[in-house]
Amino acid sequence: MGKLTRQDIDNLAKSPKKTGAYIKIGMSTCGIAAGAQEVYDLFEKEIKAHNISIDLKKTGCLGMCHCEPLVEIAVEGLPAVIYGRVTQEIAQRLMEDHICHKRLVNDHIYELPVKRC
Amino acid sequence: MINAIINGHSVTVAEGTTILEAAEKVQVKIPTLCKHPDLPPTASCGICIVKAKGNNKMLRACCTPIAEGMDIITHDTEIVNVRRSVIELILSKHPNECLTCGRNGNCELQTLAEDFGIRRESYQECVSTISSDTSTGSIVLDPRKCVLCGRCVNVCQNIQDVWALSFVERGIETRISPAGDISLSESPCVRCGQCSAHCPTGAIVENDETQKVWQNIQNPDNYCVVQIAPAVRVAVGEAFGMKPGTNLTKKIYAALKRMGFKAVFDTNFSADVTIVEEATEFVTRFTTAPGSLPLITSCCPAWVDFMEKYHSDLKDNFSTCKSPQAMLGALAKTYFAEKNNIDPKKLFMVSIMPCTAKKYELSRSAEMFASGTQDVDVALTTRELARMIKQAGIDFKNLPDEEPDHLLGDYTGAATIFGVTGGVMEAALRTAYEYVTGGKLKNIEVQDVRGLAGVKEGVVDVGGHKVKVAVAHGLKNVEYVLSKIRTAKKEGTELPYHFVEVMACPGGCVGGGGQPYGVTDELRKARTEGLYCDDRDQVIRYSHENPYVKKLYEEFLGKANGEKSHHLLHTNYVARPEYQK
Amino acid sequence: MNKTILLIKDTAASSDTTKDLKAAFEKTARELGMEDSVQVVRVSDLGIYNQGVVVKILPNDLIYGHVKPEHVEKILKVTVKEGTPIEDLILRNVVSQTRIVLRNCGVINPESIEEYISNQGYTSLAKCLLDMKPQDVIDEVKKSGLRGRGGAGFPTWMKWNLARTSPGDQKYVICNGDEGDPGAYMDRSVLEGDPHSVIEGMVIAGYAIGAKQGFFYIRAEYPLAISRIETALKQAYDAGLLGKNILGSDFSFDLEIRLGAGAFVCGEETALIASIEGKRGTPRPRPPFPSDKGLWDKPTIINNVETLANIAVVFQKGGDFFSSIGTEKSKGTKVFAVTGKVEHSGLVEIAMGTPIRDIVYNICGGVLNGKKIMAVQTGGPSGGVIPEKYLDTPVSYEHLIELGSIMGSGGMIVMDVTDCMVDISKFYLRFCVDESCGKCAPCRIGGFQMLKLLEKVTDGEATPDDIETIRRIAHTMQKASLCALGQTAPNPVMSTLRYFEEEYLQHVQDKKCRAGKCKKLTRFSISTDKCKKCSLCSKNCPVGAIPGSKEQGYSVDQAKCIKCGRCFEICKFEAIVRS
Repeated sequence: MGKLTRQDIDNLAKSPKKTGAYIKIGMSTCGIAAGAQEVYDLFEKEIKAHNISIDLKKTGCLGMCHCEPLVEIAVEGLPAVIYGRVTQEIAQRLMEDHICHKRLVNDHIYELPVKRC
Repeated sequence: MINAIINGHSVTVAEGTTILEAAEKVQVKIPTLCKHPDLPPTASCGICIVKAKGNNKMLRACCTPIAEGMDIITHDTEIVNVRRSVIELILSKHPNECLTCGRNGNCELQTLAEDFGIRRESYQECVSTISSDTSTGSIVLDPRKCVLCGRCVNVCQNIQDVWALSFVERGIETRISPAGDISLSESPCVRCGQCSAHCPTGAIVENDETQKVWQNIQNPDNYCVVQIAPAVRVAVGEAFGMKPGTNLTKKIYAALKRMGFKAVFDTNFSADVTIVEEATEFVTRFTTAPGSLPLITSCCPAWVDFMEKYHSDLKDNFSTCKSPQAMLGALAKTYFAEKNNIDPKKLFMVSIMPCTAKKYELSRSAEMFASGTQDVDVALTTRELARMIKQAGIDFKNLPDEEPDHLLGDYTGAATIFGVTGGVMEAALRTAYEYVTGGKLKNIEVQDVRGLAGVKEGVVDVGGHKVKVAVAHGLKNVEYVLSKIRTAKKEGTELPYHFVEVMACPGGCVGGGGQPYGVTDELRKARTEGLYCDDRDQVIRYSHENPYVKKLYEEFLGKANGEKSHHLLHTNYVARPEYQK
Repeated sequence: MNKTILLIKDTAASSDTTKDLKAAFEKTARELGMEDSVQVVRVSDLGIYNQGVVVKILPNDLIYGHVKPEHVEKILKVTVKEGTPIEDLILRNVVSQTRIVLRNCGVINPESIEEYISNQGYTSLAKCLLDMKPQDVIDEVKKSGLRGRGGAGFPTWMKWNLARTSPGDQKYVICNGDEGDPGAYMDRSVLEGDPHSVIEGMVIAGYAIGAKQGFFYIRAEYPLAISRIETALKQAYDAGLLGKNILGSDFSFDLEIRLGAGAFVCGEETALIASIEGKRGTPRPRPPFPSDKGLWDKPTIINNVETLANIAVVFQKGGDFFSSIGTEKSKGTKVFAVTGKVEHSGLVEIAMGTPIRDIVYNICGGVLNGKKIMAVQTGGPSGGVIPEKYLDTPVSYEHLIELGSIMGSGGMIVMDVTDCMVDISKFYLRFCVDESCGKCAPCRIGGFQMLKLLEKVTDGEATPDDIETIRRIAHTMQKASLCALGQTAPNPVMSTLRYFEEEYLQHVQDKKCRAGKCKKLTRFSISTDKCKKCSLCSKNCPVGAIPGSKEQGYSVDQAKCIKCGRCFEICKFEAIVRS
């Protein structure tokens, strides 16, 4: 990355947020203990297999530890939603239904009412 | 200066004064257990707690500095109740064995329990079952009696720099042990006994060998003889309520005779012999082999052990002279035995020492058997002597003065100051000066090497030669002196010292690990003054002028550093591992 | 084409009409010809409870509560089609979390410094280093009212100021990542999920006090946190945000990691310092305080991970913004790790002043399986219990202390009627006794003796005198222990004694354990009247202590029974008697 100047920081902070499809998987200790690594690997494989362009990212602990592994999915045309207790089978369904066919999957969404700062 | 109030009394003290110290100024005695005047506070026992107005916590008086305007209460019902509760907690973990304990009647925990009027055991007993460590033969560690005050660890690590003791495990399982949970004899322990001297309870005591001595005295086949060290005479009186520093030499001779010893010698005599040998050794090196300098004294067995373990690279700088104790043993079983037609095998030599390491010295190498059998059979501490005197039904304080057996019992002023840090150096200088110049040292009391400073340095003009000397006591101070020497040798620059004296115990032998309990600088100073007085009282104050020493050389030894001297009175050194395991 | 999403959940405690309402919405949407522009989705949880059927509309971000079948058509026509909210249905006062410390956790990739900076990261560092003087930095922190989040709640600006004004050629900043409280993992999540926020806080702290060196002290049991911090440190160094002349200023700062080694006591400031110095991890008496003589006798500040994670926001949004949140004496937010008998355990960050009841019932979904709540434990092994009658207490330093507990690092354990208060206090005390460093007699021996007495109580062998002795030891430990571990170890015991004395008396006088947790006081047996001989208990007993047959019936072998209570929970006919 190279040494940053204040200008670099300000520019990066002000730049518009990246939009675009992503899959975010909670990969802190709680997530990994619940099986997030396997879910991550599955998505990685499936993305390649389906040959779609979508960002697969790690993220930290959202605090909803009772429903790890957590997967946040945002695809074009749909708002971002968070799925919880994602097993490999559910991950497969998310891939097929939500990502490929843009249909949200029932009974697995967990919302977090939060004011972020 | 800071102003504060303690129990309603105003005090004004220097900045940094602790509440404990400030309270003393208004005659308020805050009880303590883990605090020792020699050591910085560990703040562990929790007995010195006091209240300060405006603070709902209780503060520890031993380590909290007085702040401007502090209003302290040291005693009220709540505080005393908490203190009592803490003592009861400590007692619940302490074996109820006062009657059979080495500190019975002389124990800081006993005193606290007595002062607080503990009459019931509120908490369930939970004494540990760890067995004692008797592996060194000099010191006995009983972890069950340990109150974890930390004094021994502090002394062993920070004052003696030996690091044989440390805390192991944690919580209720915490105990004192060498690191790695090995036995004391497998650790770097040099048996100096400073741990024992600072321990408030019976957790660390000397290996009591009085029974062995009684048995041998009572055996009609034995010819029991005894020698007493210089530092013993000014300290043993403390066990009988006498002022520290009172010189009781002649009463001790009387007591020992009444106890059944057939001859009473004085280690001071052999101290004079040591000086003759060592001064000769020094002068030889100084005048003919300056590359072999500095010469370092070797009469302290804890120091010898420390050197063999940590500084064996300087082995060749050690005086090959044995300690006075060892020399007397060898001479008793040869010179004395011959002169009196006694079979040396029947001679049982006991020494009374202020020291626990002397017990170890007796068998440290083959040279300790120079007479054909073990030169000194048992070394007792001052404390053991006091107990034996009491057991023998002797009214010590009122004994008449008696004389020793002069052959190995007469001494000069130079010998008696061996018990003080700097004393060996002073005595050696007095003699070496005359050996070199033929004249007498003008200032016979060499002030530069006196006092309680950790390292003392001085330069003495000996017939135009500047002899540079250093005296260190407390093994931590050895580092400073030795590193200066090593640096000079490595860089090929002028040596910082020609002659070095080291005593393991702070204060020298007067503060030894075998002396009556409760060592403080005050006691060290009092005992030191007692020995300096003894020096001034002697008619002869130069070791080589001792008539009996002269007789010894004429009749028996021949030359100083001669063949016979080397056989009987000299030893050598080996490198030893710090850890046996 | 952008679709509207309707997320539906019946949030009532005991009903589930979600399926029906979803069907109603889909049917009506078809009838209105809107089925292509709206998706109706059943969700597992909306974080809202006891508000009937809740419908959340995305992307409008509208939340409707108590939705009934008669509202379906209006919602579709007015809100979905026209985009107008229906005022009557809007759910107001939804208790939501305020995320300052956890602002980036679960949002950014913790291994990407670019994502951190994109989200305002390191802008505060630039502002402090280049626009402000150290005293200005401290003044802004003072304005924010931030207090130490490790448990003591000491004003952060004051700690920094004391270190700044202490003389010393070298000063140190230490981040306390030891997090020893059982059940607490807020700091771990921040270190794993947003490591740069802590780094930024430390560099700003270093600038404020004039330190050139900082240390992360992280417990060795957090390997992922350690590796994320290592990665973040390297990124920060590469970006010139650590090291020499940061951002072109005169200020240089180095940061290293030191690991803990399994000692809870090393979360205490002076024991932590001893640990970094390579000595036995035991506390030292204070004064001198670390801000005066700390690490290697130099002025040192030790701040908790959460405290440091707040710092960047203080400068991003200003101290006034920060102090606008919270109560009069407790500003900002606090992260709690809510665990125990609660439906949704996890990390919750709320504004100070939020009532405990809200946290348990409105954020975490209430007590597990709808059982009756007994108490909430806060503050870990140094804290106390808050009984049900005080659950409306707002969460703040001062309120919790008044009730005999403390905020602590943020552990919050929910307990129901199947928890035994004596057993809970014994658990916490056993933890403190295990973790006691052993240096001072009151904690080392007092804790041990108190534990033995509590064991007598739970074994049914105690007398009323023993309770008095417990109180006496507690007082001794509180007054005479050297550090906060010993001083606060009696808190759970004293707190449960204060609010649940009758449970202690039951154990002592009646030899009874109400909750059935104390094994020596509990006995399971089978009531032959109710027993249907279905053999379910016998089959599920983990130690085979229920012999018998379907013909002759079953009984409990008391010698083998380990009192686990499995049979009690499994029996469908309530034939297992617990006495």
